[in-house]
Amino acid sequence: MAVDIPKSFAGLPATETKWVGRGVNRVEDPGLLTGRTEFVDNLVKPGMVHCAILRSPYAHARVISIDASKAEQLPGVVAVVSGEDARRWSNPAQTMPEGWGCYCLVVDKARFVGEPVAAVAAVNRYVAEDALELIDVEYEPLPVVAEAAAAAEAGGPLIFEDKPSNVMYQRVFNWGDVDAALARADHVFSESFRWHRLGANPMETFGVIAEWNPVDQSAVFQGSFQSQSHMGLGRAAVLGLPSHKVKMISQPHGGSFGGKGGFRGCDIAVLLSRKCGGRPVKYIEDRMEYLLAGASQAWDRHYQASLAVDNDGKVLALDVKLLDDLGATAEGFGAVSAAKPLAAFTGPYAIEVARYDLTLVATNKLPASPYRGMGPPPHNFVIEQLMDIAARELGLDAAEIRRRNYIPPEAFPYTIASGNEYDSGRYEAALDKVLEMSDYAGLRAEQARAREQGRYLGIGIASTIEPGVFDWNAYAIVGLPSTGVPEGVSVGIDILGKIYVKVGFSLEGQGQYTLACQLLADYFGVDISDIAVVYQDSHSAPPHFGPGGSRLGVAMTGAILGAAQLLKEKLIAMAAALMQTDAANLRMLDGMIGIEGVPEAQMHSAQVAATMLARSDLLPPGMDPNPECTYVWTAPGRTPADEEGRAKSYLTAANACHVVCVEVDPDTAMVEILSYYIADDCGTRLNPATVEGMTQGGVAQGVGAALLEEYVYDEEGQLLTSTFMDYLLPTINEVPMTQKAALVTPSPFTPLGAKGVGEGAIHTTPAAIMCAINDALAPLGVRAREVPASPNRLWKLMQEAKAG
Amino acid sequence: MTMQQVVKVTVNGVSYERNVEVRLTLADFLRVELGLTGTHVGCEHGVCGACTVLMNGRSVRSCLMLAVQADGAEIMTVEGLADDGRLHPIQQAFMEEHGLQCGFCTPGFLMAVYELLGSNPDPSDEEIRESLGGQICRCTGYQSIMRSVKSAAAKLAGARV
Repeated sequence: MAVDIPKSFAGLPATETKWVGRGVNRVEDPGLLTGRTEFVDNLVKPGMVHCAILRSPYAHARVISIDASKAEQLPGVVAVVSGEDARRWSNPAQTMPEGWGCYCLVVDKARFVGEPVAAVAAVNRYVAEDALELIDVEYEPLPVVAEAAAAAEAGGPLIFEDKPSNVMYQRVFNWGDVDAALARADHVFSESFRWHRLGANPMETFGVIAEWNPVDQSAVFQGSFQSQSHMGLGRAAVLGLPSHKVKMISQPHGGSFGGKGGFRGCDIAVLLSRKCGGRPVKYIEDRMEYLLAGASQAWDRHYQASLAVDNDGKVLALDVKLLDDLGATAEGFGAVSAAKPLAAFTGPYAIEVARYDLTLVATNKLPASPYRGMGPPPHNFVIEQLMDIAARELGLDAAEIRRRNYIPPEAFPYTIASGNEYDSGRYEAALDKVLEMSDYAGLRAEQARAREQGRYLGIGIASTIEPGVFDWNAYAIVGLPSTGVPEGVSVGIDILGKIYVKVGFSLEGQGQYTLACQLLADYFGVDISDIAVVYQDSHSAPPHFGPGGSRLGVAMTGAILGAAQLLKEKLIAMAAALMQTDAANLRMLDGMIGIEGVPEAQMHSAQVAATMLARSDLLPPGMDPNPECTYVWTAPGRTPADEEGRAKSYLTAANACHVVCVEVDPDTAMVEILSYYIADDCGTRLNPATVEGMTQGGVAQGVGAALLEEYVYDEEGQLLTSTFMDYLLPTINEVPMTQKAALVTPSPFTPLGAKGVGEGAIHTTPAAIMCAINDALAPLGVRAREVPASPNRLWKLMQEAKAG
Repeated sequence: MTMQQVVKVTVNGVSYERNVEVRLTLADFLRVELGLTGTHVGCEHGVCGACTVLMNGRSVRSCLMLAVQADGAEIMTVEGLADDGRLHPIQQAFMEEHGLQCGFCTPGFLMAVYELLGSNPDPSDEEIRESLGGQICRCTGYQSIMRSVKSAAAKLAGARV
């Protein structure tokens, strides 16, 4: 039967919705608040030993010899592995682009500081770390490629000697005739921008317990996996195992933001387990390992970009040239971050032609990983800076130039130059809302007064799109050919009437389990406490991906409502047999199944389910007795990418407009955020409290990106920011308490009209803050084009400007 | 190989005595020796505050202390807040105000808030910032935490009346 997933709350079988759409208390919270939730490091298994990893002190060095004999003799040590074991029992990592990967332990040479060279399993972590000090490694240092520009040049040292250069990927995408637009435009504004490395830093680092089964040559990994099935396929490839010999069990984990990682951690731990005969091996990455060599770093970017604009401020073309430093290998899927801007290349603006000149290079730094937003935050920073440059040159207000270029509401669904289709939006309404909230005219008046007093007060406006519900086709240009991302669940009712939903993802922080309960409580007319969310491992769950790319809220809503509908139809068929009527006469409302217009002919859905399970004699012919249904949802209408990378990729386009007011201290160049306003539109809000929380959390990460966070390497490829004393995360003292307003423009394409959400604020906040800083420093003629805008950077720019 | 020493502590009102290596951190002692895994370890260098516990009523970083330094102390961890599954008003406030997302940093925040509200039942925004400035949360952006602290203060004030 066809599944028809409701596009609004009105389509649910409920007189009124009591749970979904409301900011209900989360079902996850009691366990988290009492310390009972089982994060991976809480787990103890019989015979378990602990892993510690010896890491390369050099950014580029040949390993001449490894002598682990003393470590092996240390009491409490049960196994030591090094490159020889990796070569014997595993394959080099799968990468995008292909062919830029290596073994999980150095086989020939180390390519970045912190690359694993050897690992120890011992009775506890303390002893394992003692043993690392007993391993002697002889290195022959090699010349280091520390800069992206040098990496792109021919003739330097090669990071992969089987490659002709350190260029991993180079291609130019022309969407329309950009050269003609540039030639025709009244003005072309060009500028260079630099976005330094930063990254996810969830408060829990990666952790895993790996167990090798020597009898049937299989592996089980239990850990903090953002996407267990994706992780499992990679492990099978690396270990040379068939997919059914690798099982992934995902524990609740303490955040991810795309940067949980753990590929090498899994692989090394299972090699150790194999070496010691199959004992479970726990590896908990510590924070310094995470900063130095985890999935901690993303977006190391050099931009040269131009905006072609006519005299009225109408943008004709966007031309972006990106040199992205992916680090030593392509194992971290950092290339995906360079591809994702295709999903919203021209932001909220009707810019009909665009060009993307994309070069990805390898250097002797940590391989780049994903991070929340997956690439657009730097891209949006570039677009919004260019919009402000154009406005300033044309004498337009920052709000006005944006207003003149928005895609109008009547143009949706709207296909952008880079191929994706936006579903719906009211961008000007969002702008108007945030201007009203912020009293924009009042802010400008305050700025004028401040300038008279010699203060540097600035106002930033940024408008962005948050592509939601990712699709693999968005990343086709770097080697992911598939279309669609299935997400499946099973919904059932037990014999005593309680509802359960089986899912293939664990807790990560976004309140997914609460959303599952909200949806099912309204669907079956029960209390939220009558529902159990049951986690299933990678072998048990229907096809699934889990959280990522602002997808899970929409995807799981589709899966749950699909499964619920199938279950409803099955219960109705059963009830029809019991009531001796035709199923077409029955409907379910608030959990009661009955004959329309006959109030006394009613059965509760739970009663029908129990009858199925307990009275096989009453089952209609051909019906199995299982009141459980599975549905696998994937986004409708997705298309494979064409030769220019164009596809209907991300299903939804949420939008936001931020206004921020900052003041730059004239003496110290410290930036203080004075006020911050957000209007955002992610369609129907399934849990407004969760949306608000993720928005604010994205603001915090955006503040970190704009002002604080940076991985700094020296010319020898040594990381200088390997602790939280040097890599600065925003605290309660730096993050503004924002004022937020919600617009609701439902998606016409999605379950309940909801759009993907969770990344929007990090897409927008860095751009907004940088716009505000440049606005503040405009009287000095300062152009701050480097992120983060740390006090030392800004201070130098201010001194240079004052010196003239 | 390494030296051992006896540590006697009271944790959440229960007395424990263990013979441990002198290099064992207090965080590992609580988590591994005593099985009190509610205290989480986020950075192991004293910056993130996830491992915050109270020792003799004052907040300490349990990753930066050795277990032997806590000998004779009274320690309170997140497990000491709820009463037979009934959430403490601070926990209740965090739930109602959505003061957590992934929840990994939360035990540290709860202990820091417990300490704050014990000495200052009605803190200002500035005082809340001051006392939570050493706790890092990567999910919430702190706004809901700020609301949670105020709500907790109100709940505790109500309970005292």
